[in-house]
Amino acid sequence: MHCLGFSINIYFQVVYYFLTNELCNSIGRFILYTNSGVMHLLNLFKDARYFQIIFQSIFLSYGILFLHWRNESWLYATYFITGLAVQFVCEYFLGKKNVPFLQRLKNGIPSVLISSFGLSLLLKTNYWWVAVFAAAVSILSKYIIRINGKHIFNPSALGIVAAIFLTGNAWISPGQWGSGAVILFGVLSLGFIVVTRVQKTDVSIAFLGTFAALLFIRQIIYLGWPLDHFIQSVSTGSLLLFSFFMITDPKTIPNHTAVRIVWCIAIAAVAFYLTAFKFMNGAPIIVLVLAQPLVPILDKFFKAKKFEWAKPKAYTAEEKNFLHVVYSRSIM
Amino acid sequence: MKKRLLIIGAFIVLSPVLFSFCGFYVSKADGTLKNKTSQVILVRDGNKSVITMYNDFKGDTKDFAMVVPVPVVLRKDDIKVVEQSIFQRLNDYSAPRLVEYWDQNPCYGNKEEDKMSAAPSANEVVVTSAFGTKRSAKSVTVEAKYLVGEYDILILSAKESSGLKNWLNENGYKIPADAEEVLDPYIKSNLKFFVVKVNEKEKQKLNNNFLRPIQISFNSPKFMLPIRLGMANADGDQDLIVYAFTRRGRIESTNYRNADIVSNRNIPLFVQKNFGAFYGNLFTNQWDKEGKSVAFLEYAWNVTPINQMKCDPCVGNPPTEQDLVQSGVWWLGGKDWNDYSDVDNDEPDNGSKNVHFTRLHFRYNRKSFPQDLMFQVTPNTLNYQARYIITHPATGDFNCAAGKKYLQDLRQRRKKELQELTVLTGTNINNWQDEATAKNDEETNVSAQYATLLPQVKDEMENKENMPVGILLFGTAMVAGAGLMRWKGII
Repeated sequence: MHCLGFSINIYFQVVYYFLTNELCNSIGRFILYTNSGVMHLLNLFKDARYFQIIFQSIFLSYGILFLHWRNESWLYATYFITGLAVQFVCEYFLGKKNVPFLQRLKNGIPSVLISSFGLSLLLKTNYWWVAVFAAAVSILSKYIIRINGKHIFNPSALGIVAAIFLTGNAWISPGQWGSGAVILFGVLSLGFIVVTRVQKTDVSIAFLGTFAALLFIRQIIYLGWPLDHFIQSVSTGSLLLFSFFMITDPKTIPNHTAVRIVWCIAIAAVAFYLTAFKFMNGAPIIVLVLAQPLVPILDKFFKAKKFEWAKPKAYTAEEKNFLHVVYSRSIM
Repeated sequence: MKKRLLIIGAFIVLSPVLFSFCGFYVSKADGTLKNKTSQVILVRDGNKSVITMYNDFKGDTKDFAMVVPVPVVLRKDDIKVVEQSIFQRLNDYSAPRLVEYWDQNPCYGNKEEDKMSAAPSANEVVVTSAFGTKRSAKSVTVEAKYLVGEYDILILSAKESSGLKNWLNENGYKIPADAEEVLDPYIKSNLKFFVVKVNEKEKQKLNNNFLRPIQISFNSPKFMLPIRLGMANADGDQDLIVYAFTRRGRIESTNYRNADIVSNRNIPLFVQKNFGAFYGNLFTNQWDKEGKSVAFLEYAWNVTPINQMKCDPCVGNPPTEQDLVQSGVWWLGGKDWNDYSDVDNDEPDNGSKNVHFTRLHFRYNRKSFPQDLMFQVTPNTLNYQARYIITHPATGDFNCAAGKKYLQDLRQRRKKELQELTVLTGTNINNWQDEATAKNDEETNVSAQYATLLPQVKDEMENKENMPVGILLFGTAMVAGAGLMRWKGII
């Protein structure tokens, strides 16, 4: 990423050189404006959460366009509207008073969108009140169930589990992605890791690796099923979604690296046991919710630096210079 | 005598399919119809499952045998034989349906009618094998031995697949060569084998010429249907219809994608003659489009006995409480049908007597379905039906203004119907030439007859096919023009 930043700076210097050498005609102006747009975008995306939102929205669009989820659009709308409304209310009454209200609202919106996408991609229901309940539980849990400034439960995981077990009118469809979507999932999930280079990739790899390895041992080595039997088991979209976009939430996993990995392996092992021997559906999500109260205890014994979402970086000198040229030209 | 083996979900078909629709038989030569269809009733609540397997074996009953993997050793009470007609009733009730509507002539009042017709997808199933001498081989244990109805039943457990294979072979079952790849995982998963043959003495007592379906019930957290064993001795695609009953809501597949079969489409009037073939084509086309590894939902409805509205429209009679109890819906059982003392004394509706019916249609082969079918019961209680609509046009003079408007609308609607037909079935519009020009439409105004509209639709669709090329050419021309102007310094 550092290398990328460096080359971007060089690029801006080159563009600046051409601009100042009177090469700026109509096409040059076009290059100028698009570049300044790209620069603002790059700055915005230094927060990995925006990437997560983009990837999740690709998955949802795939479902709506190719898997006939259009009939459920009302459900997705309910999740998003409720999520944003609950966040508004919670920020108003429970937010930190030292930050301006609008600023707090703005900072919290990406998380709300991620939680709402998480619900949309996994939780199904026929009733609007169940959807409202799930979204409200997700967002409320972030404000109410907190220890040491960290919320305990992964918002969407808690919303899903609460809706399934408390209302009895919601369910997860593990097969909803089919096996055709796996390539899309694989590529995009890998892309997500590369692009965001999130510190929490270890979580995904530890969970998915353990889960898949145990399944492999059970299905291929012990039971003797052919390989495609195993591939069918691990290629469910819900599992990949869980490993790359749910368990990775940096606020709800232990801070200490080694502890974090052991914690993930343990979740994978228990989830595997429930899936393979108790035939439970959606086991990883339930196990995750049950395991999350352990996180504050683990954090207490194994001290490590607390995770913070990356703050948008200030502009470098080259970029400032470039922007100055853009603005001066646009006045001309 | 050829000996074969019948395994659940592994039914080989002997006779061609008979589609009965308003007295028309679909020709055998059609080739698009699937004649390898097996039918299973699944009843599930909590950890208890009841599975009923359709048996349409025709031939010498000495040749019949069947092997079903089951999770537990079944007791004698867990095994029953039920009436065969139950499958026909469930199929008639839940099959994809055609609805008829009649237009009114806007120029004068007309009769109003609304009839429905059904197109049952007939299902043929089954086959064959025989018991020979019984000699126990090592590593195979006969856990239990029962006589139920006309069947001799053995429950086997095995320690290794080769032992089981030898045992089955020695006892007259011809195990397919690649069945071993499946037997081994089943044995290691601690499954038992439910082995059935016909008891000739009991069969003669019954004095009928068919074999009744076998119903087994057991407690297990596993909610699945073993289809893999069946694939070992069958090549090609096999159809499976699952009729499921639960207390909570629909069932759905957990390891394959669930899709609703397209429904509520307006199709041309002439499809009525050949609805069976139409649906066969439609299913094949949808199955291809959705990527084959799919569980298709054809019907889902709340069929609770106290619930009045059981279908809209009804194709066959809704299953009665007795039908449901026969199918294995045990939570309705325990009622004495000659005792009317509780007629006025309705039980409170607390949902404990709810029955939800789901009909799933699978078409599987070894490549698209590497795993057995796993299911879950969901709280989804939405009703669903595969339903297609035909509309009879109004007849008479259309000399008034509204009549002219009607004719114009009718032409548009029928064009859409023709397009819909080709899209749904994935066939070329030319294939429908014969049906469209057949003499079934002459009461309709000439300008709105399918025979008149078909060439127009054909033209429109061909033009549409050229559209992308047109756009591409137009785009290229624009870019080239802009480049030229830029080069000449005009822009």
